[in-house]
Amino acid sequence: MVNVADRLKDAREKIYSLDFDAHWYRRAFHAFGASFLLYYILPDVDWINILKLWIPPLIVVFVIILEVFRLTGKISSNHFFGLRMYEKKRIGSYVFFAVAILILLRFFPQQIAIPCILCATLGDPIIGEIRRRFSQKYVYLLGFLVCMYFFIITWFKSDVLLIILVSIVGGFGAIIGETKKFWWLDDDFMIQMIPAILLLIIWISIPYLGLSYPGEIIYPSIMPW
Amino acid sequence: MKYMKKEFYFSKVIRTEILFTPLLIGLPLIVGFSFIFEWYNRGILEGSSAFNGELILGIIIIIGNIVFDIPLIKSLRVLSKKK
Repeated sequence: MVNVADRLKDAREKIYSLDFDAHWYRRAFHAFGASFLLYYILPDVDWINILKLWIPPLIVVFVIILEVFRLTGKISSNHFFGLRMYEKKRIGSYVFFAVAILILLRFFPQQIAIPCILCATLGDPIIGEIRRRFSQKYVYLLGFLVCMYFFIITWFKSDVLLIILVSIVGGFGAIIGETKKFWWLDDDFMIQMIPAILLLIIWISIPYLGLSYPGEIIYPSIMPW
Repeated sequence: MKYMKKEFYFSKVIRTEILFTPLLIGLPLIVGFSFIFEWYNRGILEGSSAFNGELILGIIIIIGNIVFDIPLIKSLRVLSKKK
């Protein structure tokens, strides 16, 4: 008869021996952030609206508390897989990432928030891979095109002139946010907020440009019951 | 790019990254397919093109995540075999 304790021990050793490449873990973590777009598809009913109001800030508060514990040494930085060396004594990039997504979801129209979130969640890891494989000049060019693409496909309901303007300005803002590095402010925040602020200026100017506002990209789902 | 040292990862703590991985891979796929389902249900079945945004975003979320999940899964390796 097989000893249950031995089998459990074997299983545990197998789990402990698994190893992830931190680099790919970080990339996948970025891409995972696109899941937050679920926010826009949730049905527009009272109790879900209450959850939509409270859950995102609670997640951010949880992340900030976790980070405070890490920076004060109450939780070891070793628990945070994929953390970079320079983040050991600085606020981790995941905090900036979460705060920027919360600001976008709460205070910006979805036409601005969605492409900016896509730039951070998918554009940033793609740019990272371009940086690893090619020279810096390709980072600017290809990164700009990737981010521009996200603005084009999400503004497809608007006028052609507006699509061109938004995609160029948004792509430019995102690539500036990604490539301009500050020790105290992470690019995960900048890649979302710089294009968002630039697009907000365009958004406010739309009536003055004689153009019309684009329709919503995502409509809330309808409760099946 | 340098990451934090790895020795800790072999300690006797069930590691957060392993517990988190199914969510990391599964949730974006669920969200992506929800978007496509919405497009099919309200766009195709009701003959409305207003829901094409859901289709575009669903495809982007799914492809974008698969592109980065495959190397992550490939990078998963049993060290005992390597040793």
